Amino acid sequence: MPVSRASSVDSVPLPPPGAQRFDTVCQFCIVGCGYKVFKWPVGRDGSPEAQGNALGVDYTRPLPPLGEWISTAMHSVVTDKDARRYNVVIVPDKGCVVNEGLASVRGGGLAQTLFAPDRATKARLSQPLVAQGRGHAPIGWDAAVDLGARVIKAVVDRWGPDAVGMKFFDHGGGGGGFEANWAVGRFFFSGVGTRTASIHNRPAYNSEVHAAGDAGVAALTNAYVDAELADTIVLVGSNAYETQTNYFLVHMVPNLNGSTLARKRETFAGEAVEPARIIIVDPRRTMTVATAEAAATPERVLHLQIEPGADIALLNAIGRVILERRWYDVGFIGDRTEGQTFEAYQRSTLAVDRPLADVVGEAARIAGVSPAQIHQAAEWIAAPKGDQSRRRTLFHYEKGLIWGLKNYENVAALVDLALLTGNIGKPGTGCSRMGGHQEGYVRPVYPGGRPALNVDEAIRRGEVKAFWVGGCNPVLTTLRAEAMETALKERGAVVQSALDRTAGRPVGERVARIVDALKLGGMFVLAQDIYMTATAHYAHLVLPAAQWGEVNLTSINGERRLRLYQRFMDPPGEAIPDWEIMARFGRRLRALYLEDNNPQMANRFLDFTWKSDEDVFIHARYQFKGDGSDPIEGYAGVTYDLLRRLGTNGIQTPTRIVNRVPVPTVRVHEDGRFFTPSGRARFIPAPQPWPGYAAKVVAQRTQFPFWVNNGRTNHIWQTLYHHQHVPFYAEHNPMPHLEMHPADAARLGIASGDLVELSNDVGRVRAMASITDAVKRGHTFMLFGQPRGATGDLVSDHVDPATTIPYYKGVWAAIRRIGPQPEIQRTVSFLPQNVAR
Amino acid sequence: MPTRRDFLKLGSVGVAGLVAAPPAAPGAADAAETPRYPLLTIAPLKDIGAGAAISFAYPDRHSPAMLLRLTAPAVGGVGPNQEIVAYSTLCTHKGCPVAFKPERKMLICPCHWSTFDPAKAGTLVIGQASQHLPQIELRVDNGLVQAVGVAGLIYGRHTNIV
Repeated sequence: MPVSRASSVDSVPLPPPGAQRFDTVCQFCIVGCGYKVFKWPVGRDGSPEAQGNALGVDYTRPLPPLGEWISTAMHSVVTDKDARRYNVVIVPDKGCVVNEGLASVRGGGLAQTLFAPDRATKARLSQPLVAQGRGHAPIGWDAAVDLGARVIKAVVDRWGPDAVGMKFFDHGGGGGGFEANWAVGRFFFSGVGTRTASIHNRPAYNSEVHAAGDAGVAALTNAYVDAELADTIVLVGSNAYETQTNYFLVHMVPNLNGSTLARKRETFAGEAVEPARIIIVDPRRTMTVATAEAAATPERVLHLQIEPGADIALLNAIGRVILERRWYDVGFIGDRTEGQTFEAYQRSTLAVDRPLADVVGEAARIAGVSPAQIHQAAEWIAAPKGDQSRRRTLFHYEKGLIWGLKNYENVAALVDLALLTGNIGKPGTGCSRMGGHQEGYVRPVYPGGRPALNVDEAIRRGEVKAFWVGGCNPVLTTLRAEAMETALKERGAVVQSALDRTAGRPVGERVARIVDALKLGGMFVLAQDIYMTATAHYAHLVLPAAQWGEVNLTSINGERRLRLYQRFMDPPGEAIPDWEIMARFGRRLRALYLEDNNPQMANRFLDFTWKSDEDVFIHARYQFKGDGSDPIEGYAGVTYDLLRRLGTNGIQTPTRIVNRVPVPTVRVHEDGRFFTPSGRARFIPAPQPWPGYAAKVVAQRTQFPFWVNNGRTNHIWQTLYHHQHVPFYAEHNPMPHLEMHPADAARLGIASGDLVELSNDVGRVRAMASITDAVKRGHTFMLFGQPRGATGDLVSDHVDPATTIPYYKGVWAAIRRIGPQPEIQRTVSFLPQNVAR
Repeated sequence: MPTRRDFLKLGSVGVAGLVAAPPAAPGAADAAETPRYPLLTIAPLKDIGAGAAISFAYPDRHSPAMLLRLTAPAVGGVGPNQEIVAYSTLCTHKGCPVAFKPERKMLICPCHWSTFDPAKAGTLVIGQASQHLPQIELRVDNGLVQAVGVAGLIYGRHTNIV
């Protein structure tokens, strides 16, 4: 791929000693690496002597390896509202215990994502827009809020609150955080009162890890240091090198290569210790597998390269071996779990009435691994160590399991394994999702039930009259994405015609005509985002939000580390923080209901009078008690002042108030209590060791030859909303790549870089082929959510009925070659992405 | 023959309309003048055999670099088949020395496993660097392969000419 001009620059300016300094955390993945921001006026650079620059580093001679180097990607120039130009440098913080000065490929380019009028990020939304004809026109905040609030009110009054649909971020990091999440929840749940809500990446308002919740086990149990202490690390459906990079590099790799032995000896005095082993359950031979082998030697890496959907069978068979060999933790199960659930688990999930060889043999067949590998995995997870002490095993899972065959049973199978082996709440253990986004959830209780209502279907059925999309892009990422786009387009067009006919007319008249259009099947669409996304194109109101770096925000990472992400620059134009958008709408709705002599509804929109981001943070804090009963996000007693003092290391939630001071929680469940009424964890039994594929999945598998696994990769964050504007990343994936096995590619005459088309009963999409042995024959892997080819167009509307979570990874399609792409083949590298030696 | 800079100019593949070619970063331009690179003769062209990998230092003795003769034309390459290229061998992630693996046709960093494609202007294949590997600009003059410049900031420096 071509090198961007930005990286062919051969110098960077140094921040002067007087540069403004800010602490922040990467806006991207769950790991939440700490970064330092320096900002100073253009033309007032520092000098290379240590005392001449803000880093205090001697740049008069080249730095040794692992130095505090500023790559050209870590610098950019921004223009604030004072019209002055500032240099901004964003470097990884060596004082942060999460990343210890390392940047990932994504974090290293944070400076490139900043709004600048002279770079491609100038595409940022900078003023509220109203749909007009085939495009959008500026409308101004007051008019936008007035029109939007009046439509929402009309919909609620006529059709009830559930006719207002929403699909919003619920996460931390960029485009989220406690402040934004609280405001969204206050507006939709306390205010509107709708149950027709859904979370950014799925069709409903539901946990991705319901089974863990039902077991009483937190989604994020361990501290990152546990990966340095574990005897065995188990990764299921997680490509950590690429997508949780510095958790893997800074905390797992040193354990795999033996660098943490001294720390292990010190922590576990008298206990046998050795470098960690790692079990990676992944249908692909990923860079995580390759780098684990490079770090740990191949004999200590067990890669279970499973067939699609086979996780449940595999994990339950491992559990059965552990049971049979009596490697389970009798003491933990007796003291910490509800006994009758353990009995049910043995009976149904582990099928104790069937011979061991049957269960293991069946699982091996389904998973495409050998029975010996299943026995080996059981041994690495649970066989006593040389000195007969219990093995410390750290279990992690992510989208491979969460978006798998049967969300509920998938997660249950792994959580049960952790309970069976007593690996929760002790140093070197844990059972946690790896995480995608960071976390930062705090909202009033969702008023809907469970399983949660499928909003995508409610939209298609016409039940949603106003649909508000915030910080996400379902046209690319939802299941049956094309059907979503069609609904937005066709139902939106009815409203569009009402808007066009009433252009320039008083707002009351416009709203009346819009309501007429809604009666005719129309849907009013609001989009709140930082860019004009594929979804926002269909919006009648486009609301520009401020982003990371332009607001103060708080979030937690994968070990619940809460930090303040400081504001260091102005948002573009009229863009304002998400919480402020919600507040403006809340205040307007209150006024409209008061005018309407409806105090009951007006009072649902109280308390939208926040003056600052910290006001919202403190308002949301009243959800938490600080007495040990809070969810993992609980931040009782925490203030912005405290977080400013704690910098990039922050404080691990949930906090407890002891002598009026918030005290961190390093590990959840370390006190032996679980989140159930009894305080004991529950095994979640499944009806049988293996549920089989749903009929809809079987039909697609039978009809189409290739499995299209899909997900994120190293370079690209989510839908490329930023990265498509930064050449270094955009040029790596000018379109989604499709990994294919060499034998399959040869049979179809496909070469790397060729344009291919995937099609199935749901839709069709294009990709560039990338021939690699990372995938098995018959398997492929495609980058998800790419604007020029979204796998969502191939995903069927099948969901786990227990949780309304889609089987996003369960796509089968036909593939055909369209032709060569000489420019891509000349410029994009197709060397294998799973080679470390 | 195409130079690295031509490649940059021509290289905006796909993503039409999404990626505008950005102007050179103004801050950097303000900070330092474009460095004046020395002229360094690396080896006579005739001595660079198939599969050659020649270590040298450029633009000064503290900056390790490697010249490679690949098996096919490369972006920015010189020689009869444009297959001779050269790169700084300090990884643009954290400055560890990258090694060329001829059987893999890639440069690999042993510290955090960033990998670079020498046939595609040192592009990051996968890994954690936030810049591609700086390419040493080469020319052939009177049968001698010479280094004349560097495209991209070398690890550990704020400017290539310290």
